[in-house]
Amino acid sequence: MIQRRTLLAASAASAALLLADRFSAAQEAGSYIIGTLFPMAGPNAEYGTIFTAGAQMALAHIAEDKMLRKPVELRAEDSQGTPQGGATGMTKLANVDHAIYTLIGFTGVSKAAAPIGQRNKVVMVNGGGVGPDLSGLAPLFWNVIPLIDKEIAAILPWLKAQGSKRVAVLYVDDPLGNAALQQMTAALPANGATLAGSFSIAPTAQQFGAIAAKIRDSSPDAVYFASYGAQQAQIIKQLRDNGVTQTLITYSAATIPSVRDLAEADGLVFTAQISDWTLTDPVTQRFVKDWRAKYNADPTTYHQNYYNAVRLFGMLAQSLEKADKPVDGEAMRAELLRVRRFALVGGEGSFDDNGNIAIPIQINRMKGGRAEKIG
Amino acid sequence: MLLLQLLASGIQTGLIYALTAAGFALIFGATRIFHVAHGATFALAGYAFLETAVAGVPWPLACLVSLVVAVGFGLFMDAFVYRPILRHEGSFFTVFVAAFGMVVVVQSVLELAFGRSFVSYSSTLTRATAVLPGLYLAPIFWVIIAVTAAILLLTGVFLGRSRAGIGLRALSENPELLRAFGLSARRLSALAIALGSALAVPGAVLMAATSGLQPSIGPHVMLISLAASIVGGIGSLRGAVAAGVLLGVTESLVVSILDTQWSESAGFVLLFGFILFRPRGLLGQPVPR
Amino acid sequence: MTAYLLNLATLSAIFGILAVSLNMLVGYAGIFSMAHAVFFGLGAYAGAQIALQVIPDVLLAAIVAALFAAACSLCLALPALRVRGEYFVAASLGLQMLASTAFSQAQALTGGIGGLVGIPPPMLLGLDVSSAPAFLVVCLAFLALCLIGIRLLMRGSFGRSLMALRDSESAARAFGKDVAQLKTQAVAVGCAMAGLAGALFAFQEAFVNVESFTLEQSILVLAMVIIGGVGTLAGPLIGAVLLLLLPAGLSFLPFIPPTDIGSVQQLIYGLAMTLLMIFRPAGLAGRSVGQR
Repeated sequence: MIQRRTLLAASAASAALLLADRFSAAQEAGSYIIGTLFPMAGPNAEYGTIFTAGAQMALAHIAEDKMLRKPVELRAEDSQGTPQGGATGMTKLANVDHAIYTLIGFTGVSKAAAPIGQRNKVVMVNGGGVGPDLSGLAPLFWNVIPLIDKEIAAILPWLKAQGSKRVAVLYVDDPLGNAALQQMTAALPANGATLAGSFSIAPTAQQFGAIAAKIRDSSPDAVYFASYGAQQAQIIKQLRDNGVTQTLITYSAATIPSVRDLAEADGLVFTAQISDWTLTDPVTQRFVKDWRAKYNADPTTYHQNYYNAVRLFGMLAQSLEKADKPVDGEAMRAELLRVRRFALVGGEGSFDDNGNIAIPIQINRMKGGRAEKIG
Repeated sequence: MLLLQLLASGIQTGLIYALTAAGFALIFGATRIFHVAHGATFALAGYAFLETAVAGVPWPLACLVSLVVAVGFGLFMDAFVYRPILRHEGSFFTVFVAAFGMVVVVQSVLELAFGRSFVSYSSTLTRATAVLPGLYLAPIFWVIIAVTAAILLLTGVFLGRSRAGIGLRALSENPELLRAFGLSARRLSALAIALGSALAVPGAVLMAATSGLQPSIGPHVMLISLAASIVGGIGSLRGAVAAGVLLGVTESLVVSILDTQWSESAGFVLLFGFILFRPRGLLGQPVPR
Repeated sequence: MTAYLLNLATLSAIFGILAVSLNMLVGYAGIFSMAHAVFFGLGAYAGAQIALQVIPDVLLAAIVAALFAAACSLCLALPALRVRGEYFVAASLGLQMLASTAFSQAQALTGGIGGLVGIPPPMLLGLDVSSAPAFLVVCLAFLALCLIGIRLLMRGSFGRSLMALRDSESAARAFGKDVAQLKTQAVAVGCAMAGLAGALFAFQEAFVNVESFTLEQSILVLAMVIIGGVGTLAGPLIGAVLLLLLPAGLSFLPFIPPTDIGSVQQLIYGLAMTLLMIFRPAGLAGRSVGQR
């Protein structure tokens, strides 16, 4: 018995080592490795699929343009949406795959991965999470998506213009949701409006019939909700089904197909960074044209963000290569802070000292399964 | 009026819980198999209905497809997972882990086949309108009540009157007796699983229309089913239905007192309380200590 | 590569402690808990708070975490004394769900869903043990202590009484054993070790939030014990190593397209769980334990 067990353990270990050897050998061949650390299974996996598609398009464009001297390879790790998955995945990307640039998405995952990436001098770029706690996690942790405060600041004037006097806020009880609630509570009086009520939910909640009743009872003019993932579609559908007819407002997390394709989401108002597909600058034009050709649909904000994240890598690495500097985390950060402004899809993005992007926000309304710009 | 509205939406949620739990309660009551994979059956049934209905098949036919898929999967689990394990006298938890593995497998297959997003069946029946000032009810509310009543009636008649039904009830109480009467325990437990799996269909279809589905719904369904079966009293289908309603109403009413976030846990407080103070459940037999 | 393997090894040691501690409940006391992640979490929060507020000493954090988890284990002992079998499983499920909500609500202690960040690097009696190899040694030492502790405990009269209790409660009662006390003690010891593992986990990850202490985690640990072999000393360890290395190993498969990587890994993982149970129902290290 003992012998068989030891044998089993030994063979498992040696198999793992063999595999690992083969892979570290593969990356020696000289290409840049970009890692992705997204949830690829489970309730939030929809995001992983979307994020990856955006990054892949940018990789194709970098290769087409021969922007860089070495090819760029994508390595995917499943973060499982948990901190532990994030930490383990980042350790693997940094130490086994030797990624120098990683794309990351969720808050818990980001917080667990950030110290590991920083220690290994790996750049981490978030294009999905918008919680305020994602700002300045580490010097090498950047955000190519404007954080929630900027989105709420953009929706407030619109609410005022609509004459909304009572706003109900439905929020997931995490840093993102709490930040949204705080900012709303603080800013509504200046709008001449009040908070009709605030309703916290757990990230795993799936039944909103009772909450819909309470929201109706607070008689708001508009309902703002801050959630993410599949839960958003459930919230929209169940609020509508249960007689909440007021305008529903949310932020950029709603730019996913499961919300877009939901009949009840018609009329949903949401903020997101400028994603005007009619822009005439060559970067946006090419992205939109190729996207439509490949997927026969319009891209979403998340596609745009992760496209931008990878494009940013291309531009940073290109100028480092030209200057004959090594392409590593520190050098890329120095380059980012030196250049500051980059031509990205959706216009020019500028980065502050924390590596947070500022890009104009627009207000959209869902109509017939498409987002329509309304402000 | 808020209380009345909360009560109504609690009943609607609760009846869906009841329909979700009925199949599990039946299987668990008759065979004592801890059928965690009922969540997988539920997800498969829901997706089978949704995908065929969206493809343009009329809904009664889509329900039939869903039924075939659900029963097929239940029988598959019985023949290829539970039988072999129970033959080796595997423990309760061996069955649990094996079934849970299948929940994971089904979830991955659904993700690969139909994508990872939230899907729902769009129907005008789910749109609530004001029946009284401040009280909104959707037509589906009545549909759910009718379906639940019909199912309780049908299973009641089957379990009480038919030979196979009586055999099923005897299965949980005295398997030896069955052999004496020339009934096969194996066949009967297969029947219980087939029947229980079929019972997942109405719940799954109604869930697809009201709150929607996603591939990872399995564990959630399992939690509801288990809670309702225990609170209702193991072995009692009617108890499970009553408990489902009780859970839904509790979750809904608690919102009027506590922070909305506690809604989901309220059901589990109820479960915990029942186990501590009334382990036999609402309508169950006394539990041997 | 080394850093990655060290990380996996450390996690294996931590989950080894966790699995071994759950085996104390499931395998020796016959208490089928599905709430083990709760005590893992309580320990992690306690350890993290000690490190953040007082001193980042592993030993102190581990002791406090273990005591705290043991104290809280009464929540589990209470239903264990009243009901058995499926009823207890359901009770522990209820406890798990309640604790998840409590963890995300008690923001002052747990940081809510945002969690506790910036847990300082671990020290041990003034020595710096924050390097990966050093911390692995610390974790392995704790694991060894737990294993030795359990072995001594199970060889003694406590263990014999406990196993008598597991096999037949009424017989144990007839022989004059204090059933309530035995069960409470077993639960306390098992949960204390889970708390200890939690403290180590907090140092290892340097970040804890409720997402690490959910029902999924409880089921994972349970699967480690069952797949390894209930009631054996080595079984849970084998299970822990296997279930941690399996996904890690699968992530090396080169042929999976990046968008499907998670689902395919999960598919193989789930299938492995089911097949193992069909072909080795008593676990990898277990003899046929029969029906319990």
